[in-house]
Amino acid sequence: MEQLFYYLKVSWFSIKRAPLPYMLTVLILSLGLGVFFSNATFYYRMNSDPLPDKSDKLFFPMMMLVPYQCSDCKAPPVLSYSNVAKLAASDIPSARAAMYSADGYLRQHAAQPPTPVTVRITQRDFFSMFDVPLLHGTIWPDNQARDELLLSKATAEKILGRTDVVGQQLLLDDRLFTIIGVLDDWQMLPKLYDAYNRQYLNPAEDIYLPLESGYDYNYLSNNNSSTYDDADYRKLATDGRTKAIHQLQYWVQLDTPAQQQAYRQFMANLVTDEKAAGRHPSPEANQLVMLRDIVRYFGGESADIKAFAIVTLLFLLVSVFNASHLSLNRYLSNQYEFSLRRALGANRSQLQMQLLVDMGLMSTFTLAGAAVIAYGCTKLMNSLWPANRLFASWDVQLMLALAVLTLFCSYLVTLYPSLRASFGSLNKQLKE
Amino acid sequence: MITLTNLGKVFRTELIETHALRDVNLQVNEGEFAALTGPSGSGKSTLLNILGTLESFDSGDYQLDGKSVKGLSDAALSKLRNEKIGFIFQSFNLIKDFSIYDNIELPLRYRGLNATVRKQRIERALELVGLHARRDYLPGQLSGGQQQRVAIARAIAGEPRILLADEPTGNLDSLMARQVMELLEQINRQGCTILMVTHDPDQARRAGRNIQIIDGQLHDSTMYDPLAQHTA
Repeated sequence: MEQLFYYLKVSWFSIKRAPLPYMLTVLILSLGLGVFFSNATFYYRMNSDPLPDKSDKLFFPMMMLVPYQCSDCKAPPVLSYSNVAKLAASDIPSARAAMYSADGYLRQHAAQPPTPVTVRITQRDFFSMFDVPLLHGTIWPDNQARDELLLSKATAEKILGRTDVVGQQLLLDDRLFTIIGVLDDWQMLPKLYDAYNRQYLNPAEDIYLPLESGYDYNYLSNNNSSTYDDADYRKLATDGRTKAIHQLQYWVQLDTPAQQQAYRQFMANLVTDEKAAGRHPSPEANQLVMLRDIVRYFGGESADIKAFAIVTLLFLLVSVFNASHLSLNRYLSNQYEFSLRRALGANRSQLQMQLLVDMGLMSTFTLAGAAVIAYGCTKLMNSLWPANRLFASWDVQLMLALAVLTLFCSYLVTLYPSLRASFGSLNKQLKE
Repeated sequence: MITLTNLGKVFRTELIETHALRDVNLQVNEGEFAALTGPSGSGKSTLLNILGTLESFDSGDYQLDGKSVKGLSDAALSKLRNEKIGFIFQSFNLIKDFSIYDNIELPLRYRGLNATVRKQRIERALELVGLHARRDYLPGQLSGGQQQRVAIARAIAGEPRILLADEPTGNLDSLMARQVMELLEQINRQGCTILMVTHDPDQARRAGRNIQIIDGQLHDSTMYDPLAQHTA
């Protein structure tokens, strides 16, 4: 321990000898790491597994159940109400939920100004499938239409000023609904249950309504939907249930490989039946995509994000190169001291220990600088692209990753200079 | 103690080869005070560097205490330098932002001695060079002569068997130079072998032996009788 303090003291004296080049080295490295890390935070969140225990059990089935013929089409990601009913006829999945999203206006009473809200219109298994935590109340007992809704915690606090509001009534688009449950803080990141809309960055919805009520009250989808033949998408309560209005995303939970295989077979059988009934003119294109593969399947990793990641990586490399150059100059100006220490009996291992302590000190300063710069960059990104703000949070894993990356970059920055300094000519330095 | 057999050193560039030392044969016994003299560029500093293992040699052999240093690893050479050899440089080579105490402590640190032993040795060395009161000074606060005495204290704190001094009075005025020479003689009387590069014939005469190098070859090795010098 005493020797460690000695090494620290030597490092500190070395910094004091030429503080400006040292600060510049740390600043350049911090800048490269900070910018890289703010982008890496985003990338990490985007690619993280929001449900590690279930991401290989939740599946998104897609079929060519559309009234047109296409020989090389992929199965569309949305289904009609009647198609969902066909897929839901199987008892193989341990849970299943159809869903779509809509917009609405919420208020406590008619005298209050309405607040715009996002609405997830879904079925009761949604909450158990995606591990949605409940703070108060309960969820719907079945999938029947009912004038009952669940609120997010933030919405309850915003509209009613508190969360213990089960039993109270609210006006959603001037229809009276009873609150039966309030969710706890919850945000699925990335929001993969909204599989194909590329809205993985968006916050969770404010309100949850039963699917049947959504159809009854004609809540139109605020996302992509497809309508065929004479179906009128504005008549959700009628045409929505009987005609080809495709707007529902459908999830099933298949816990075992056997269930998954059985469900694939079920889907294949369904194609056969539909073909026999003349409702499946296209070749079979069934898909059963796992939750963890959703982003990749729908190409949700935007090219902009990838390009930005590459740019920040290059920026980091340039920063490391520049910092290494500055570091080399600093070490060469100190080479006399290295040579003296070696002449007086320090071996290369002892000098390397000194350099490791130098590196540790540099890493500490750089880590602090990089964290500040990364925080600033993240704040800037949040203000420029508010939709991304959910991806800006840091956890212990991310901080550890930054620390390890900083150590690695500091090592790179000091490695070559330290080798040059350690292997310099002793007598030449001491004679000058 | 020191045995050089047919030792040779060649400096090579792309264009020329310079034989800095050729077939040097030398025996230095324990307790000797030898001066290495010769014109500039004759190879005396190169020889001193080889003796201090700061520089390698190309041919022949160098034995220290009966053991060849040829082929020793970096760690073994460092240990040898640290434990057996003390260096005194012409330009003192003190670390300017370290205190006198910290400068003297440097070689002891790398030997792994504990703080108490280090302190004892540093204080003994400071007493010997007469700078105990200035232990917390920085080198820049001392005169040239005092700085060289600090360098001597650093060299002897490790209780080496050999002191290698490269023109130790080259940067000092005559009074300071005399003080440094007296100090070296005092250290030699305590049993430490000293090899000193010098251009000064008077200093060479004060050493017990004068080893002359011309064009990389050992030309003459004269044993002086210091007693005769003093009585003359």
